[in-house]
Order: sequence, then C-alpha cells, then structure tokens
Amino acid sequence: MQNRPDAELDRQFAALKESVADAMPPEATDRAVATAIARAQRSPRRKARPPGDRWLAWPLALAASIAVLSLIVRSLPPEAVVAEPTARAAGSDDFVPVVPIADIERAGDTLVVPAKLPRTTLAQLGLPINPARAADTIDTELLVRRDGAVLAVRFVY
Amino acid sequence: MPAELSERLQASDAALAARVACGDPSALSPLYERHRGGVYRFALLWSGSAAIAADVTQDVFVHLLTRAEDYDAARGPLKPWLLGIARNFVHKRAGADARYVANDDDVEPEAPDLASPEAGIDAQRDLARLRAAIAALPPHYRDVLVLVELGERSYAEAAAICGCELNTVRSRLSRARALIARWLDVESDTTGLARG
Repeated sequence: MQNRPDAELDRQFAALKESVADAMPPEATDRAVATAIARAQRSPRRKARPPGDRWLAWPLALAASIAVLSLIVRSLPPEAVVAEPTARAAGSDDFVPVVPIADIERAGDTLVVPAKLPRTTLAQLGLPINPARAADTIDTELLVRRDGAVLAVRFVY
Repeated sequence: MPAELSERLQASDAALAARVACGDPSALSPLYERHRGGVYRFALLWSGSAAIAADVTQDVFVHLLTRAEDYDAARGPLKPWLLGIARNFVHKRAGADARYVANDDDVEPEAPDLASPEAGIDAQRDLARLRAAIAALPPHYRDVLVLVELGERSYAEAAAICGCELNTVRSRLSRARALIARWLDVESDTTGLARG
C-alpha cells in the first residue's frame, strides 16, 4: 500500500480550507447572541458590595499603581525607553488602556517602555488577571506619555 | 495621540473582555463580530456539521458573556482562548470526551467508510471523502489537524488550546496526516477511484 504524496494531501487540505473560507454562522446564531447580550444588559450580574470603609480601596489602589508605574518609567535609563514609531502605534490594537481614552487622545507623543510587572499590579489597573497566579510577573510593554504617565499596557507573549 | 489609536486601544480584545467581565455586556458585540467566523469555521471543520458549528459558536460567546473573568489576558490572546472553549463544546456536542483520549496515541483507529456517490465532479467527491476521513479521526488528532493544518494556528497555540506539549502536537499532526493519506489511498484502491 502506498501513501498518497504529501503534495496531493496538501492540495486537498487547501481545497477544503477554500471551501469554508467565507463560512459564517447563520443569522439565527447572530440573533441568539444579540438576545443573550440584551438579556444580560437588562439583568446585570450583581456585584458584591464592598464594605463601607473600603469603598475607596480600588480607586486608590489604581491611582497608586499608575503613580508607581510612572515613577518606574521616569527612573529608567534613556536606552530602556523605545520611541513607538507612529505607523506601528497606529496599527497596534492590543494595548489595553489604563486611563480614560480622552486622556490618551490628549497625550501627544508617546513612548513604549518594556517592563516586567507583577500580576497584582495589573489587577489593580483593572486588567483581567487570573488571581490564582497573582504572584507571577509578566512581560509587558507600557505606552507612556513623555512625562512618564502610563496610558496603556500591552502583554508580550 | 491620533484619535485612531485611542479608538484601537479602546477596542482591543483584552480591553473588551475586561469590560464584559466588569458587567458591560455590550462589549461582547464587537468581540462577536471579530471572532465569530474563526470560531464557527473551527467548529465546522471539526464536526463537519453546520448545525453543530452554529450551536458551538453560540455556546462559546454565551460562555464569554457569563464567564469573561476566566480569561487571563496575561496568558495569551483572546482568540486561542475562544478556540479552546470551542474545542470543549464541540467535543461535548459530538459526544467525544477529550479526557479519555489523553494517552491512546498508539491505538489504531478504525478506517472510515469512504464510499462516495458515483455522480458529482472530482473536486466535490474529493472534498466529501476528505471530510469523511477527518470525521473518522480520533478527537485528539482531529484537534491538531483542524487547528494547525486547516486553521493555520501555530504549533504553540495548538498546544495551549489542547493542553498538551508542543511535541505532542507535532506527533499527532504527523499521525493524523498519515492516517488520512492511508485511508484515502485504501479507499481508492478498493473502489477503483484512485488516480494513477
């Protein structure tokens, strides 16, 4: 028994890929997902109410984290700071903002700074982090203003 | 700062997933628009059924809506995570439990019946036979074939999605290709459909 050559198998795989290249879920699925979204908007999940004396804890932690990051960035040697080319920046869609978008729009020139951050810091910035791995550090790139203020974070995979 | 960049920052997968996790369901809409095709095609190629693919697509995004906090943006991009969820759902829909196949790489799967209608042009017949062969693969071989060979995901992504080692992905892909090549040839030999 002789196996069909790889080239023939690759041709058949390519034809199969081509046959589903434009396949999309039916409208019924689109409607079902839209209905689920609408239902979730009508009945938002209940969040645990923080204790009365701790209601400012997260905003303060967020502000503190951003301030600490800004201090770290300002203390970096110049060679550690990489100017983000405008074209690349405009094409990047994987940064996660940590300040209001209006602040980013007003930021003017920005820089990209590589940084290793603990997950706890990222969690305080409001980013989705698995708490079970809170002790780990993560490779990131920070989008910062010229004065060192951190605007957004990008994970380096 | 260009307005375009600020819009892109706001619309990144991780930012949208974080909004969903924080109780903003409307952030799911752009994620659905962006990833529904990839999730649907994965499920379609895996199951060979448009109905199962549609159900799995719905399940995946409803899961994201209700369990977005399970996504850890620091561990990888959103799309492989969604494909991992889709893999779990398509296994369930197809009645295949991924846990039982973890160590059965040496088990010889049964060759499928690749009989195809006499009518129809060669290309359609080839596609039908290839789909039947893929459907006959054990689930763990089908996972890597659909992800890497047909979905053009990297070996590393496939390993993360399937929860196995990189070398396991390589060996399973090689074995899946060999099985399909052999089955197609076996069928060609026995039905007289071989070309050359």
